[in-house]
Amino acid sequence: MLVNFVRGAPVEWLLDPDAEPWRKVSLERVALVGTPVGLQPTPAIRAAWANKHIGAVSEVQVGAVHNGEVIAFRLDWQDGSENRELGDTTAFPDAAAVMIPVVAGAPLITMGAPNQPVNTWYWRGDSDTQGRQVLSEGIGTTRTVDQTLVRGHGIWKDGRWKVVIARPMKVTSAEKVVQLAPGEKTQFAVAVWEGSNSERGGVKAFSGSWRDLVLAPAADGGKV
Amino acid sequence: MSKRQVAMVFDLNKCLGCQTCTIACKRLWTREEGMDYMWWATVNTQPGRGTPRDWEQSGGGFKDGVAQAGKLPTRQDFGDAWKFNHEEVFFEGKGQSAHLQVVGEQPEWGPNWDEDQGAGEYPNAYYFYLPRICNHCTHPACLEACPRKAIVKREEDGIVLIDEDRCRGYRFCMEACPYKKIYFNHVKKVSQKCIFCFPRVEQGVAPACARMCPGRVRFVGYKDDQNGPIWKLVEKYKVAIPLHPEFGTEPNVFYVPPVAPPRYDAEGNIDESKPRIPDEYLVSLFGPKVLDALAILKAEMAKTRAGGKSEMLDVLIAYQWKSMFGGLDRDPATIEWTKS
Ligand code: SF4
Ligand code: SF4
Repeated sequence: MLVNFVRGAPVEWLLDPDAEPWRKVSLERVALVGTPVGLQPTPAIRAAWANKHIGAVSEVQVGAVHNGEVIAFRLDWQDGSENRELGDTTAFPDAAAVMIPVVAGAPLITMGAPNQPVNTWYWRGDSDTQGRQVLSEGIGTTRTVDQTLVRGHGIWKDGRWKVVIARPMKVTSAEKVVQLAPGEKTQFAVAVWEGSNSERGGVKAFSGSWRDLVLAPAADGGKV
Repeated sequence: MSKRQVAMVFDLNKCLGCQTCTIACKRLWTREEGMDYMWWATVNTQPGRGTPRDWEQSGGGFKDGVAQAGKLPTRQDFGDAWKFNHEEVFFEGKGQSAHLQVVGEQPEWGPNWDEDQGAGEYPNAYYFYLPRICNHCTHPACLEACPRKAIVKREEDGIVLIDEDRCRGYRFCMEACPYKKIYFNHVKKVSQKCIFCFPRVEQGVAPACARMCPGRVRFVGYKDDQNGPIWKLVEKYKVAIPLHPEFGTEPNVFYVPPVAPPRYDAEGNIDESKPRIPDEYLVSLFGPKVLDALAILKAEMAKTRAGGKSEMLDVLIAYQWKSMFGGLDRDPATIEWTKS
């Protein structure tokens, strides 16, 4: 997938799925599959999901842009219910995430492996604009590194989510998170959690394999 | 398994159903935002549906060591937090004219909805109170269900705690706990539960529910302390047994089963041929060992009735209040508490 360079687009535009920069972006269809029940990290989760369908959302339309400093992913998917609430003990929010390997070749299905970390940028319907940045080196090792660098915004309308997840390409962090630059190539994967199907944690739909990500060069060297 | 384990024994023959324990816990731990519907300590009438409603049929735990699927109770099942006209009654000068009452939607269930209903027909009706807290299990289903390793069982005392910084509010623990003793705080977005008053235990003070109990029901101590009440009641006399041992979590709260008064027959005479509380019912709660525990208890009672002495009954009677706390008997007023 090519990440188009949108010169001079303010971050607020990138974060608004209805704003100008997104109109020119053609979204690509990405098929999603449920995570295998056998790979769920604990016996209780495997028991609870043994006879239930994991991965209620089966496809998502994905696009991305950058303005030389911030990269924003756009995920659109069909969803008959807008789940933003945590009001009852049985209510779960809709959520989405983009994952990028920190080390090339890190395994996707296990969310990384020892010494092969992957970096995940989360959006969740109940805390719309505040994203979350996570590192993991294998199933059950996810660790939140900050809740400030990743920003998001979702709009649900007419049975469809339009969600943006953004982060500065280069960040100052004590942690080994992904650093990106215009003109570079890497890979990415996406995941979607359907709240109305009680999806959370490792119970989700994901893109199954890494996809290529090519960041268009910023014509003026990345400064806008 | 932890190096040591704190535990409790509840003597069901002494529980008054006064809810002092429930309120002691509420005032100490669950008054913050998102905790309104939480009762880490509960006391329900048995037979009854319990709190949360029908928790005994909610799955979770282990069968032959294998994790079982469990259900998530709703806020309604827990009894929710009713809204009252406190403002009107207490602050608007209507103390003499307005009754304290539930405002808005009228509840159809509550945390103690079927109180004192019990079962059986007059004159052989029966019920007893069942106080419950988190069992700080030796094989905690909650801890093993969590994919984020957010639940820990402390080495030094076996207390099971949720690390709220690691918890992401997934509630797999709540699903897995067969005792349904995990609550979800929808404001903090994390799961919360009984903490066995660990800041008190660390200072040598028994948990608040135990210290406040006017019925001298709640014994506290380390399981391996042979001078303490837990070891004596559980290991030595074998009169205290866990609730639903078949759930497979090895609870560390034990119960002295209730000995009900005798039945009456159709002529109004005492009928000792069968117990007032059906054995099957007690077995359904505590497993077959409950019959042994009852036999032990009755034998000791017969002994004292015949003029003999029973160290076991002396422990249960708890002549010395402090003897109930296994050394955790420091007066909390002697400690300077700070909130971090
Ligand atoms: S009673 Fe439930 S919450 Fe408490 S330790 Fe056992 S499994 Fe965990
Ligand atoms: S305070 Fe004691 S007597 Fe009262 S309900 Fe609780 S356990 Fe029973």
